[in-house]
Amino acid sequence: MVEHVGSTNPECVLDIRGLTKSFGTNVVLDGVSLTVERGKTVCLLGPSGSGKSTLLRCVNFLEKPDQGSIYLSGRRIGMREGGVIPMSTSELAQARARIGMVFQHFNLWPHLTVLQNLIEAPIHVQRRSRDEVVAEAEMLLERVGLTDKKDVFPNRLSGGQKQRVGIARALAMKPELLLFDEPTSALDPELVGEVVAVMKTLAEGGSTMLVVTHEMGFARETANEVVLMDGGRVVEKGQPSEFFTNPKTDRARQFLQRYVSA
Amino acid sequence: MTTAAFLSLLQGAGVTLVLSGAGIALGVPLGLLLGLIRWGRVPVLSPIVMVYVSLLRSTPAVTLCLLIFFAIPTMGIDIGPWTASVLTLGLNTAAFNCEIWRSGLNNFSPDQLEAARSFGMTPALRFRRIIFPQLWRACLPGLVNEMTLLIKSSPAIAVVGVVEITRAATRIGAQTYDPLPPMLVATGIYIVLIVVFVGLQRLTERLYGQAGAAA
Ligand SMILES: Nc1ncnc2c1ncn2[C@@H]1O[C@H](COP(=O)(O)OP(=O)(O)OP(=O)(O)O)[C@@H](O)[C@H]1O
Ligand SMILES: [Mg+2]
Repeated sequence: MVEHVGSTNPECVLDIRGLTKSFGTNVVLDGVSLTVERGKTVCLLGPSGSGKSTLLRCVNFLEKPDQGSIYLSGRRIGMREGGVIPMSTSELAQARARIGMVFQHFNLWPHLTVLQNLIEAPIHVQRRSRDEVVAEAEMLLERVGLTDKKDVFPNRLSGGQKQRVGIARALAMKPELLLFDEPTSALDPELVGEVVAVMKTLAEGGSTMLVVTHEMGFARETANEVVLMDGGRVVEKGQPSEFFTNPKTDRARQFLQRYVSA
Repeated sequence: MTTAAFLSLLQGAGVTLVLSGAGIALGVPLGLLLGLIRWGRVPVLSPIVMVYVSLLRSTPAVTLCLLIFFAIPTMGIDIGPWTASVLTLGLNTAAFNCEIWRSGLNNFSPDQLEAARSFGMTPALRFRRIIFPQLWRACLPGLVNEMTLLIKSSPAIAVVGVVEITRAATRIGAQTYDPLPPMLVATGIYIVLIVVFVGLQRLTERLYGQAGAAA
């Protein structure tokens, strides 16, 4: 695979090129290329095991890709400029701080209150002033409707509330890009709506988001682009209106038959 | 039992307390370091720690104390009975503490560490801000239990001539031909020491109870 060098489209917040990743002999990503433009929401769909989580984890180098490159607002992630020397631990940490991540199982820090969860990384990783961070965190909690929970520990929250904290925690870093890995899959059905509503507000408010989801309603209504992965490859991309009503590939048709009821 | 005898028992208690305290101060952090090496599967070091732990766990404290007292001077390092005692207690308890810390670390959910990584926390920051505040609370009961075992194994250091509680009590018993009263007092002192330790643990748990329950 030839690696493209040179500048990326300045409107591209995320530019993934020719990413490959194997675990042993299991090829999980097989040359994935994908872009997310500023202010756009891209939904990543695909059957279980198709490599969606691995792709997200590669974006912030929680998993080290074998080949390919990732640019965040034109700056290479994981490798120093030139793409030969890997970033140091602290360079990588600073790069990761530019990307917000929301997890399927929330992954909140249980020894910290809701507010402390939000301000932890902005204060200790980004070294911003405490007063400023607290003020912003309180505004974010208001936005996700959890002002009254700010001094509560996560174990007192419902799943939907936990995930809204998870989203607010990611936003507190003022990330250039938000990654969501099945943010509603661990929720009771009646709690999915409150989280989807927050994500819709974000998408409409101009956040740049890459969302792995099985919520076809969210993808159809909110995504600017839908990307279908299968077997570690991108098999179809398109506008949601096109993708859901008029899929071009057999894989997409099979996927829609399986995952979209009626 | 005379007042003088009682005072020498109290002095023995002071010695037990100081040497045990020093052993704990050495053994708890050292155990954490060893536990982290095992948990992180640090190449080369991790298997060495594993061997260290199983050797120390199977060596009686008396034997270890004599070994340290006689072996270290042969390497040209001067070592008195007090240093030998602290090393004995500290190195021994470190092996047990290593396992306590390690099992605490193994029970730690990888999810929240993944979140910490993805938020740009460096390993040092993750340890300081995320792992340790939860870890010590989870490990406290096990560590305090190990501390009480350390106090109860401390009479072993008498073998190098340190006069701690039990040694003081046997001496008085030998002088007065009436070993029972000093032994009863000695037992009482051990009980008080251990009750105080466990009480401190309860107090700490109550003070940090809320967050502890959340972890
Ligand atoms: N750390 C790992 N070690 C070994 N294999 C892994 C690892 N992580 C993922 N895999 C494998 O990679 C493949 C893709 O996994 P991945 O989690 O990316 O899929 P996914 O599309 O997110 O699936 P799902 O919808 O079930 O979450 C699977 O076969 C999985 O077993
Ligand atoms: Mg997944």
